[in-house]
Amino acid sequence: MSLVNYATREITCKIVYYGPGRSGKTTNLHYIYSQVPEERKGKMVSLATQTDRTLFFDFLPLDLGSISGFTTKFQLYTVPGQVYYQTTRRLVLQGADGVVFVADSQARQLEENIESFQDLHANLSDQGIDPRVMPLVVQYNKQDLPADLILPVSELSDAINFRDVPEFPADALHGPGVFETLRGISEIVLRRLSAGSAPAGATK
Amino acid sequence: MNTTVVESWIEAPLRQFVDDAGVHLALLLHPSGHVLAQHGFTRSVDVMSACALAAGIHATSVALGRLVDDRPFGGLHHAGRVRQIFIAEARSPRGAYIFLTVFGHESSLGLVRLYFDELVAGLAAAAPPDGPAPAPALAEHFERDLNRNLAVLFGRA
Repeated sequence: MSLVNYATREITCKIVYYGPGRSGKTTNLHYIYSQVPEERKGKMVSLATQTDRTLFFDFLPLDLGSISGFTTKFQLYTVPGQVYYQTTRRLVLQGADGVVFVADSQARQLEENIESFQDLHANLSDQGIDPRVMPLVVQYNKQDLPADLILPVSELSDAINFRDVPEFPADALHGPGVFETLRGISEIVLRRLSAGSAPAGATK
Repeated sequence: MNTTVVESWIEAPLRQFVDDAGVHLALLLHPSGHVLAQHGFTRSVDVMSACALAAGIHATSVALGRLVDDRPFGGLHHAGRVRQIFIAEARSPRGAYIFLTVFGHESSLGLVRLYFDELVAGLAAAAPPDGPAPAPALAEHFERDLNRNLAVLFGRA
């Protein structure tokens, strides 16, 4: 549900980082926050527990600059990954323009990844959104871990990415793949917006 | 003080509210956290943060209200030492919005609530019928702009 203001030529898009607990959603936002110049970002808001687990959401507003003459802003959100925060995930997903699914590449986390991916599809369907048309990319995080602990991207892709959406190996703690993931979802969201999926808040 | 709106029909009722109630900041947003109108903020990124938090507060207070009283809270008020905050749902023919305002000693909760009711009535009167929204015409090769801006964001320009 992008907002397009024709009077001020502004586009605002909401991107949600989704995935199982401890897969690295918040780490993605922290890395982005650490790299972006001060004038292009707002304060990063983290509603977390005392042990730094995401309780409600993390939020990072970004000013992307001018794209085709439109000042383009992105709102990056994460959801809490733990199974029992189902209601919160639904709330944060509301009005999303695109989703980054952050999978944990560790072999022992494969079931959690699959469950969370199914949970994403169920939550979108519950909100009347056809999951097949929601812009989505998959990030296989923690690819920096020792090879005996993680699954290769091809194996993860076979298990998780049945929709064959763009996918990115990443090490969100140190940066590789974070930029590429954000670029991937941004492009799909903007392309869809441009192609005519009606933005909810458009005004002339 | 600056006022910006995404939908032009919101501007007059919002300006009226700000003048009448004497508030410092005012925000009207969609429950998903997207801003529809703001008054008094100087940085757009601060507007987005305030919207995200207001949407979160509203969602949780609605759920909590239903839990304890079988209905959502009508509004929330925070009485700070210098500034006060009032958050409430503003229903309009275009749907339910969330309204947040910040005010100081020159106003009061009573005044804010009084003029909030007038704001809701003003929005209802000003709302145009819902119609299909046009999509923005992005240039054919918008990826070039996107890549350039992302490169600037990540210090790779």
